[in-house]
Amino acid sequence: MALVRTEKLSKVYNPDTVPVHALRDVSITIEPGEFTSIVGPSGSGKTTLLNMIGGLDKPSSGKVFINGTDLTGMKDSKLIDFRLQNIGFVFQHYNLIPVFTARENVSFIMLLQKRDKKEMLRRADELLESVGLGDRKDARPKEMSGGQQQRVAVARALASEPKFILADEPTANLDSTAAMNLLDIMLRMNKEQNVTFVFSTHDQRVIDRARRVITMVDGAVDSDERRDGTNESGDSTGKGNSTGTGTSTGTGTGNGNGNAQKS
Amino acid sequence: MLTYIKLAWRNIWRNKRRTLITASAIVFAVLAAVFMQSMNRGSHEMILDNMVRFSTGYVQLQDYRYDDESSLDNSFFFDGSVKDRVMEADPNIDMVLPRIETFMLAANDAATRGSILLGIDPEKEHRFNELRNRLTEGRFFEKDESSVMLAKGLAERLQLSVGDTLVLMGRGRFGMTASGLYEIVGLVEFPLRDLNNQVVLIPLPEAQFLLSADDYITSLLIAPGHERHTESIARTLNETFADDELVAYTWAELLPELLELFEFDLAVPKLLTVVLYIVIGFGFFGTILTMTMERLREFGVLLSVGMKRGKLALVVFLETLFISLIGVLSGVVISWLIIFYFHRNPVELTGDAAQAVIDMGWDPVLPMSFAADQFYTQGFFVFAVAMIVFLFPLVKIVTLNILEAARS
Ligand SMILES: Nc1ncnc2c1ncn2[C@@H]1O[C@H](COP(=O)(O)OP(=O)(O)O)[C@@H](O)[C@H]1O
Ligand SMILES: [Mg+2]
Repeated sequence: MALVRTEKLSKVYNPDTVPVHALRDVSITIEPGEFTSIVGPSGSGKTTLLNMIGGLDKPSSGKVFINGTDLTGMKDSKLIDFRLQNIGFVFQHYNLIPVFTARENVSFIMLLQKRDKKEMLRRADELLESVGLGDRKDARPKEMSGGQQQRVAVARALASEPKFILADEPTANLDSTAAMNLLDIMLRMNKEQNVTFVFSTHDQRVIDRARRVITMVDGAVDSDERRDGTNESGDSTGKGNSTGTGTSTGTGTGNGNGNAQKS
Repeated sequence: MLTYIKLAWRNIWRNKRRTLITASAIVFAVLAAVFMQSMNRGSHEMILDNMVRFSTGYVQLQDYRYDDESSLDNSFFFDGSVKDRVMEADPNIDMVLPRIETFMLAANDAATRGSILLGIDPEKEHRFNELRNRLTEGRFFEKDESSVMLAKGLAERLQLSVGDTLVLMGRGRFGMTASGLYEIVGLVEFPLRDLNNQVVLIPLPEAQFLLSADDYITSLLIAPGHERHTESIARTLNETFADDELVAYTWAELLPELLELFEFDLAVPKLLTVVLYIVIGFGFFGTILTMTMERLREFGVLLSVGMKRGKLALVVFLETLFISLIGVLSGVVISWLIIFYFHRNPVELTGDAAQAVIDMGWDPVLPMSFAADQFYTQGFFVFAVAMIVFLFPLVKIVTLNILEAARS
């Protein structure tokens, strides 16, 4: 069974005043173990799509299935619990509870899941070590760099043992070293522990390392490209033209290249 | 739960200054409210204390008709055996003070004044209210004397002093004429103006003789071992003497107008307290409002990752509670200490104010009440304010749209 399946997903904001078609009949399927990026220019509907998949927003029409469960009719309180048990989230910013240390932030999610306390702390430490923050466990978000904060967010997302992790532009606020570092960690989790990642980005170097790239234009899927297992190294073959133009994170260029490649 | 408490506690210190200012405002409100009340109630307590000790007693036994018609005709028989019955009725009774009281004309050779003749047992009276210490001139009479002591105000009105002779004229029991000449052996200053301007003290046996009321008294004052036994003693006495046409009243039942007056007197400070709390409430509300509004995005993230709205509301509730608790507890502790100090070392009044108070027969100090309920009522008030203030974040959290919060 597919992990995520959307069925003719559409979203219209402000249908009564100035309708904005944020999503148009999006039907995609994501299997366990994928490392999928959603790319596209700003306003193309990436965030909206991730929100629908994450059960954070309701579609205007169409359906979302997670492991066969239909999210669209679910009540708010049930959805919150469903998210807690099934989906890990990494947002662009303001991910962490500012007054909690890294360790507390990671264990908090397990507390919400009512896990055993000892096991909680052990796992939190383990996860922080695996994202390279073994020595920053007692640091608060304020005392960490943006990259470190996002790594804590990834550790937190993993802590709940979700079916998959949704990350909306997780690297957008990071410098390139930190961004690559975060991506390395995500890739390693994906390879070693088979964690499924679905993330949006408009950073070309991030796109280059994704194993599947779904390109959105104007709320619709423009292309869906799989390049299985070929580009963990970052500088893959056949990508010459896109890296050449796209060291910057400009969405326009990045996507232009993506489209050109497909055709 | 511990984690939520930890979260809430740390959250309130995210903006240390704001929390401290809010808590200080609550401290200030509690202080002001307790002070206002304490001063008002302090003078009330003093008046009541004097009333009870010099006028009504804690519990008073009377003929059941005396309350309607305070006349000697409604006095009752009291001898050693009745006394024993009273003392045996309730082990919490410390002692009893028989009194006979009636209206009489008091005169010197030139003027006549209405007066209250009070027949007392001088020793017992002193034990109960330290009457001897109120003596300003002359000496304190003995039980078997036939002389009188005059309240100071009355003596001044009649221009009489120690050594002079007082003429008493009136009616005894069952319409018998009663009149006599008595030597004034002492002047007594009462701490209650009405008493001070009217009372003629006379030993009980002499009064009974003068009024043709041998073995009769108008009231028996009961002194409990402890004040808290007042109600229960009145209850047992009413049961014990139900068939004897006697009724026991507590001081509160005997002084309803005074208590009402005090209630009325407290109306203004109470109103001020309410206004004060409304003002503080708005300040508190402002803090919680900003605390909520600047964290909407964070709330959105928490709800996204799986925190239930109820849990989030709990955290914010704890924050509200903590701030109010910090304010209330410090306010109560500080006001307790200050009032404890002033209770022990009362502020001395000076000048006109002091004179006015002295004229009333009171000590020239500012009495402060130390009653416990003054403190916990404030706690209750602030808690109520906190609950109202909490409604805002509660509504906000319940209705929060996750995505809008994330965008804000
Ligand atoms: N809450 C909203 N109300 C109105 N329009 C919205 C709302 N959210 C998103 N949109 C619009 O929907 C479109 C897609 O937005 P979004 O999914 O955020 O794109 P992306 O993440 O690719 O930049 C944009 O035109 C955006 O302006
Ligand atoms: Mg977006």
